[in-house]
Amino acid sequence: MFRFTIGETLRKGTLIFYFAVASSFLLFFALGIGHSPTDPDMVTIFGSPFGRQSQPGMNVIDFLLIQLHSSSVFWIILFGIFGIAGLIPRMLEKGTIDLFLSKPLTRAELLMARALGAVSGIAVNLVYFFLGIWLIFGVKLGVWHWGFLSSVAYVVYAFVCFFSVVTIVGLITRSAGISIMLAFAFSIISWGLELREKGLYRLWDNVVYHRLLDAIYYLTPQLNAMLENSSRAIGKNPIIPYPAEFTLMPFLYSFFSTSLLYGLSVWYFSRQDY
Amino acid sequence: MEALQTVDLTKHYRSGLFKRKNIIALEKVSLSIEQGEIFGLLGPNGAGKTTFVKLLLSIAHPTSGTATVLGHSLGQRALKEQCGYLPESHRYPGFLTALDTLIFFGRLNGLQEKILKDKAHVLLEMVGLKDWAKVKTKKFSKGMLQRLGLAQALVNDPKLLFLDEPTDGVDPIGRKEIRDLLLQLKGEGTTIFLNSHLLSEIEMMCDRVAILNKGKVVRTGTISELTTQKLVYIIQLSAPVSEDLRVRLSQSHFSLELKDTSLTVTLKDKSELNSIIDTLRADGIGIEGMTQQKTSLEDYFIQLVKGENDQ
Repeated sequence: MFRFTIGETLRKGTLIFYFAVASSFLLFFALGIGHSPTDPDMVTIFGSPFGRQSQPGMNVIDFLLIQLHSSSVFWIILFGIFGIAGLIPRMLEKGTIDLFLSKPLTRAELLMARALGAVSGIAVNLVYFFLGIWLIFGVKLGVWHWGFLSSVAYVVYAFVCFFSVVTIVGLITRSAGISIMLAFAFSIISWGLELREKGLYRLWDNVVYHRLLDAIYYLTPQLNAMLENSSRAIGKNPIIPYPAEFTLMPFLYSFFSTSLLYGLSVWYFSRQDY
Repeated sequence: MEALQTVDLTKHYRSGLFKRKNIIALEKVSLSIEQGEIFGLLGPNGAGKTTFVKLLLSIAHPTSGTATVLGHSLGQRALKEQCGYLPESHRYPGFLTALDTLIFFGRLNGLQEKILKDKAHVLLEMVGLKDWAKVKTKKFSKGMLQRLGLAQALVNDPKLLFLDEPTDGVDPIGRKEIRDLLLQLKGEGTTIFLNSHLLSEIEMMCDRVAILNKGKVVRTGTISELTTQKLVYIIQLSAPVSEDLRVRLSQSHFSLELKDTSLTVTLKDKSELNSIIDTLRADGIGIEGMTQQKTSLEDYFIQLVKGENDQ
């Protein structure tokens, strides 16, 4: 089922499209990035200096990689979800699920193999993109940035966590469209919950309401916090005066909430009649 | 030995707003199927035929009751390893070829890819799709998908085969080929459980049938048991019956129909048969043959279901 799901996304062209998009970006950087011939400390993109307005002493490479990371990862994840959100509802279609459930597999095995197959396809694309950028920076600028390379592991992890939301929504609604919409909604909610103390708390000054927001925050994957921290794994953002330190806590909390969501998904799937 | 046994198998669904409406899909279905027989389950649409198979394969969960399939309780992995299933409306991934489809479903059955490659070719030949092995299934007609479905159901050499409308969409020649294949499998010891609307097909293939109506088994038996009208006899006479004799026979309690030397009598009691024979022989008319009248399975089914629904 795992191999079949990867094959399904490949043959449906979703992953190939993402692969092509990632390759275009890599080609852009491979051709465009370099050192300034006059100032070896200056990074140029197609001849234009990058970070010209930066403060003296600023780590331009860190800054560039953080910017690249921040601006691309969120969209890669959202488009990734868009590409594979239909895989769970498609498995549940009449005539398909009957065949799968008649085979000697437990429902947990079936669901988890499907989910793993779905996220693996996107994970391969993410690794390809990050590894490509890392190699380009290493070869062309002589900077082998291990922090950037390691950040892909956090991004893939965040994607696996995020997909647990898509999985349970797909199981309950059996609709790819609703799964995608709720996934987008969740990504916004996740951002809102991350900043709840500065935003959502102020909407209603009520302890129960505040604790409810906290509960939702800890019971669901902390997508926004994980992505921010994956970016912090690269280095400190030089344009933020007091940048926060990298922490594993959102990943740890999300491990529990993701396990809970996948567990609930298996429980729900096992109880359903098809 | 029994291949399948169910005791009071019941399935109720909840539907409607807040799931307050209780729908009875199956009500205390008790059936027993011997190994090596072809068993047919008949019933009008919505009678619960597909639900029954789904419960046995754990695609749906029973509300109450028990069942054993090939000696295993419901839900056991060993049960599914020994069963093949062709669902009514099956869908295969359109991006896979016929060969890849069989290999994929064989892998889900836990079989090795190496073995499956050879086996898939044999199965495709068996169902008449040898030349279509490397064609993607999205190009297949309904009949071809049905044949592929049958090959898929056979990929693990099942001891028990569940087939839901196996000849749906298949042309007459294809139907005959499928029938022959099923009879060949039966000859090899495979137990076959058949759900079908095509009563003529059931009549041709099945050793025993059960008729399901509104979730309940209303009759089980061999085809012969169901289609034989126990109290209707056709008597072949040696000479035509005189008008006088016809009047005398009509005055008896039984109803009769006379056509040349063929007399059809409907009795209220089997003992009346002797009285008729005595009367005929007393008038010098010999009995050349006597058979119980048979009805078609279709007529029997329609009468039974109509009668049940009128009650």
